[in-house]
Amino acid sequence: MTNYITTYCHILSNECWINGEQIALPNANEDITKTLYNHLELDYPKFFKMDRLTKIAFLGVELIKKENTEVLTYKDDEIALLFSNAKSSAETDLNFQSTYQNGGVPSPALFVYTLPNILLGEIAIRNKWYGESVFTISENFDANFFSNYCSVLLNKSEKAVLCGWININNENVETFLFFVEKKDLKQLHLHLNSEQLLELFHTKIKKNG
Amino acid sequence: MKTYIGAENIISPLGTTAKDNFNLIKNGQTGIKLFKKIGFGKVDVYLSKINETSPNNFFYFLLKQCLTSIIKDVNPEIIKSQDTIVLISTTKADIIENLKSPIIKPIQQLKKKFNLHHSPIVISNACISGVLAINVANNLIQSGKYKHAFVIGADVISDFVLYGFQSLFAISNEPCQPFDKNRKGITLGEGAGGVLVSNDSTVFESPCFEFVEGTSSNDANHISGPSRTGEGLFRTVSKTLKLASIKPHEIDFISAHGTGTSFNDEMESIAFDRLGMNEIPLNSLKGYFGHTLGASGLIETAICLQSMRNNVLIKSRGFEKIGTTKALNILTKNKDTEVNTILKTASGFGGCNASLIIRKL
Repeated sequence: MTNYITTYCHILSNECWINGEQIALPNANEDITKTLYNHLELDYPKFFKMDRLTKIAFLGVELIKKENTEVLTYKDDEIALLFSNAKSSAETDLNFQSTYQNGGVPSPALFVYTLPNILLGEIAIRNKWYGESVFTISENFDANFFSNYCSVLLNKSEKAVLCGWININNENVETFLFFVEKKDLKQLHLHLNSEQLLELFHTKIKKNG
Repeated sequence: MKTYIGAENIISPLGTTAKDNFNLIKNGQTGIKLFKKIGFGKVDVYLSKINETSPNNFFYFLLKQCLTSIIKDVNPEIIKSQDTIVLISTTKADIIENLKSPIIKPIQQLKKKFNLHHSPIVISNACISGVLAINVANNLIQSGKYKHAFVIGADVISDFVLYGFQSLFAISNEPCQPFDKNRKGITLGEGAGGVLVSNDSTVFESPCFEFVEGTSSNDANHISGPSRTGEGLFRTVSKTLKLASIKPHEIDFISAHGTGTSFNDEMESIAFDRLGMNEIPLNSLKGYFGHTLGASGLIETAICLQSMRNNVLIKSRGFEKIGTTKALNILTKNKDTEVNTILKTASGFGGCNASLIIRKL
């Protein structure tokens, strides 16, 4: 058995790719979360109360599930979630702070999204996944850590790992999600290693971007 | 290959070493006191706060002090080694001074100050961050990627976090009373905690312990409320016991999360009942340190190690009468007893739960 990256996707401010193939989206000027929600024909009212970071992570997972239907064949505790970014929940933190700094009262609806791992919770709730989940923060996409820790989890009790880097900085959205599975494949797929991850990451996301 | 854990440190209003903190809480002291007009709406709030006003760069200061203390208790050479990683556990890091990027700058400072070979890995998983960071350290060591992992957790009290918990009506108007019938919510705390996790028992100055196993599991239920069935906590403890090949009755003591909120403590009682572990002596340390968020898992694990060193279990401060639907064996006074194997658990926002088992060598 070898660890393969079987599906991956990129979501930027107004463009989106699955396995490197661009997805035709109708309205490039519209908010990408709205466009993708419609594109995926989702009916999930909870989506609309999520913050932007969570929405983007959620949509990335939906894109991966749509492309790779095998994701849904795993048992409820066999998929681990491993996500990361550089800015934690900074955008929502600022929004929450502004609710009480200008004479208003602190908003509980915003406060609950002021932790980056909330997006892991929303993904777990949507899919009824009870596996391991870890959120880390690093200055840049840490391909080494993703590669190492995926291998660690797959050697332990998990069968697959759904990984993601989601960094939002004002209008700049950087998202790279990938699904890693243990497979016994003869035909060549994308092997899990840090060089491969970095190469895939940078096909759509510029260095020092 | 075994993983070892030790060289624990705690920084709290009570003191700056694990030993001092342990001795003071053993004597019934708490870091919690009333702060006047500090909350949103100028209300008085109980907090476990180190300074009246936090000094500049306080988050970084806590990390630096904690790491310095751990280094003093181990072979000092290993901190610079390429086989060493530093793991940081935090929820809001330096939110007071740098809301837009609260974590990256202190981490860079730390890397430079200690001449670290690798950039520290930051784990930010709400209130399970500390327990999870120790588990991640063990996993990385077991994989052979690193030999040593310094795991340090810190969080500071800020208006941001205090007002947020106030907005959820989760702050107790008295010092928190985990698992008690009259519990009214959490008391926030601040501080730092840390340990060294290593594959080499000879790097520790004092006796170390075996880190047996640790896992996490999500409730897949609600982002800000715990599962009514304790599903995630049940699953992580079951998984940890199974991977460790340890039976529930072999656990001498449970260091629970016990925040003092109605729903959390109830959920924990249901999970431990489902696990058949409700007769095992258990405490929550939140009555001494408050809820220190990203530091809590490390501070509480450090106290577990002290309990094992001293063979004393600490009473659950603030608890008088059981306030959960399932019975628990909550420590109402300190207990002198042989403590060989402990279970530490944590649960947090985002539906996350984590557990770990440590035993004497």
